[in-house]
Amino acid sequence: MSGPAKPNRPSDTTENTGHRRIRWIVRGICLVAAVVVLLAARQTRWPVVIPAMSPFIAACSILATRTFNVIAVLGLAVGFIAFWRARWFCRWVCPLGFCADGVSRMGRRCGRKPAKRLSVGRWIVLLTLAGACLGYPVLLWLDPLAIFSGTFAFAAWPAIVPLLTLLALSFMWPHIWCGRVCPLGAFQDVLASLARRIRRRTSEGSPPQRWSLPVARRTVLGIGAGAALASTARLAHRPASRPVRPPGAIDEPGLLGVCIRCGNCIRACPTRIIEPSLGRHGVASLLTPVLQFRENYCLVDCTKCMEVCPSGALIRLSAEGKASKPIGLPEVDMNVCLLGADRECAECRRWCPHEAIRYVWSESEYTLIPQIDPQKCTGCGACEAVCPTKPKKAIVVVPLADSPRG
Amino acid sequence: MDHRMNRRDCLRALGLSGLTAGLGWTAAPSARAQGVGESSGFQSSVIDPRKVQDARTAATIVDGKVIQPQRELPILHQTDVLVVGGGSAGVVAAIAARRAGANVTLVERYGHFGGLWTGGLVVLILGHIVKGGKQVCQGIGEEMMRRMDKLDGAIIDRRPGVNPTVDAEAAKYVMVEMIEEAGVDVFLHCWGVDAIVTGNTVRGVVFESKSGRQAILAKIVVDATGDGDLFAAAGAEFEHRSHNVGLVSRIGNLDRIDAEKAKEAPKPRRLGSATPAPGVNWVNLTGPEVDGLDLATLTRMEMNHRKFIWKDVQRTRQTPGYEKVYLVETAPQIGVRITRVLNGLNRVRLSDLKAATKFPDVVGVGGASNATHGEWQIPYGALVPTTVDNVLASGRCISMDMGMADLVRLIPNCFVSGHAAGVAAAVAVQDHCRPRDVDIAKVQKILRQQEAYLG
Repeated sequence: MSGPAKPNRPSDTTENTGHRRIRWIVRGICLVAAVVVLLAARQTRWPVVIPAMSPFIAACSILATRTFNVIAVLGLAVGFIAFWRARWFCRWVCPLGFCADGVSRMGRRCGRKPAKRLSVGRWIVLLTLAGACLGYPVLLWLDPLAIFSGTFAFAAWPAIVPLLTLLALSFMWPHIWCGRVCPLGAFQDVLASLARRIRRRTSEGSPPQRWSLPVARRTVLGIGAGAALASTARLAHRPASRPVRPPGAIDEPGLLGVCIRCGNCIRACPTRIIEPSLGRHGVASLLTPVLQFRENYCLVDCTKCMEVCPSGALIRLSAEGKASKPIGLPEVDMNVCLLGADRECAECRRWCPHEAIRYVWSESEYTLIPQIDPQKCTGCGACEAVCPTKPKKAIVVVPLADSPRG
Repeated sequence: MDHRMNRRDCLRALGLSGLTAGLGWTAAPSARAQGVGESSGFQSSVIDPRKVQDARTAATIVDGKVIQPQRELPILHQTDVLVVGGGSAGVVAAIAARRAGANVTLVERYGHFGGLWTGGLVVLILGHIVKGGKQVCQGIGEEMMRRMDKLDGAIIDRRPGVNPTVDAEAAKYVMVEMIEEAGVDVFLHCWGVDAIVTGNTVRGVVFESKSGRQAILAKIVVDATGDGDLFAAAGAEFEHRSHNVGLVSRIGNLDRIDAEKAKEAPKPRRLGSATPAPGVNWVNLTGPEVDGLDLATLTRMEMNHRKFIWKDVQRTRQTPGYEKVYLVETAPQIGVRITRVLNGLNRVRLSDLKAATKFPDVVGVGGASNATHGEWQIPYGALVPTTVDNVLASGRCISMDMGMADLVRLIPNCFVSGHAAGVAAAVAVQDHCRPRDVDIAKVQKILRQQEAYLG
């Protein structure tokens, strides 16, 4: 691993104009295709393809979740090509890179100068890979494909903040993203330099250890810092602030790292109950998917969000598997519940798809109290969605560990 | 009456009762009756002692078993359509059938119309709207509401998207008015106890009253008893379910709560909701899930609930600011929600509500209790028993799955199923056919003419 990242920007001197034009057309097509897939095909499985093309996400996902998702093949394939042709993906496909390039050119035209010595991409890669080994890929969400996908999360304008920030930075300091920050680019550089090293070793038969001391130190430092961060994040996590996660979600601290905030699950949900966390659950949770059951609930036979998760933050479960891994468990506030005030209501009992709710007579309170059977309940939120009390719902799904019965 | 008694009579009566008290009996009642009779000119005519209770057919004990001898029952009346039960479903059914051209007789076990709506003080018209606020309960039920709109203090919250609350007395009055206008024959204080059946066909109803056990013959019987007493007696298939049995009450002086003092303590829980009477709220009570046909259970519920309600209002009165609140009344009729449920040719299903199924034989559209979901249709088959003919179910005992029970039993939905049963009965009489063979298109046409909403 030597030297700074190769600049990704089209080198005006070496590349002829015709070639460059073709490349811009291809990138434009890729950009349009990506937007179309994310917006028009959001109810299908296709959106998973976009973030899944990142070898960085694929590698971190495999390391962090210790499971192999078939879709990771796509990312690994892209990474494999990078062994021979570093950054071909950036130059031909990456839709975010295309946007950043465009803005960078505008910046240069307005007289902005590229940033001098600031290259953090490899640090991000090292930190994240090390964290991934401990189940917490620290900065995985910085992956450009994740940021690009996440921009199209509906009904949550803060979701576009990362992209806007990135474009603003690209304007101020042209080419700062692709060349110096982007972990996907840096990861491909790492792969390419590894390949070079191996090739050189096999062709020259030279002694293997040629790493210079500063590089080794940097690697060790990066890995150490990543591991430390990952451990801290896991230990410092407070379960009290846990939100309700989509079905198949891995354990909470792991999810905070593995989730790349691509917004795929948010878009795929047919009942629109997944929304990005906007800070209510802490900074670490920002833009991660949380469930809300204001109007609708998690359909019994739907597995869409898990199908489109590229990072493994949501494990792929079948409909039956989903039922056996409850999202949460409802809690009833009898001070709000209509039954507590002796009003006629049977909504939650009627709409529960699993017949998990019974109204039990309390002789001491002289009223009916809804009781939830944790054996039958999947936490789908149908009860919360139909609860007619306003503004606060009397029955609310809470994460399992938070529930007294859980 | 006592003021008519002169002083001497009074003293005589008192002295006599004082003397006889020691002997263990009293002549005071007879003395008073004598006094009243003497001074008012009241002439009591002698009535045949066998007119009602005939000792010749009294039950007797044979081999230790109580046996009622076989006897002939007097036929009180013959009619086209006999509606048993004068509750929210029965009254609408009777008016609808009469307006559709049939001769209609309505029998009711209590002395007034409305059943649980008025006698049970279930004065909230819960369930006549659906999500979005659209009102689905139209037809004769809506006509009652409109008549109450014109009466002062009869109905509140009559605006789109809200469930109105009526005054029980106004409802009773409006029903009397409409029943009389329609020209329905009425027998109050008649408890339909048995079906008259030949083969699989219902021919009339036996009922019990202060006038004894009598029969009314009818071409079609509409079972609006709520408990399905008649279709059960006729041998129709049904399911006997337990449900919550409660008791509604009304509390008064809520307009005299001291708002300043009330801030000191938490608000009492059971304050109910407003009624057209100023300062008076109606308070619901759900009650435990029990068998609403079991005598011992009903007795226990009546007593327990009244004890609880009294004590609860006393607790409310001890809350600062609420000292003047008092118990106006507990409902005369206990709140039995679901007992027998018919096994009909079709049924009202929760899955159909979820799928918003439209039935070709729709005869009514029901609403939601809290406007959280859309409308659901009542197929005609839900009123028709599978095995027995010439009896139609209406109200809270129509064919349904239990997931729908808490919607079907609501007052406006009883108006709707009653309306359908009444019109279908009239059509069956007109066309000389069994209810299962009626021309659905004709029923739907008449229902629409009577302004019912069929989706």
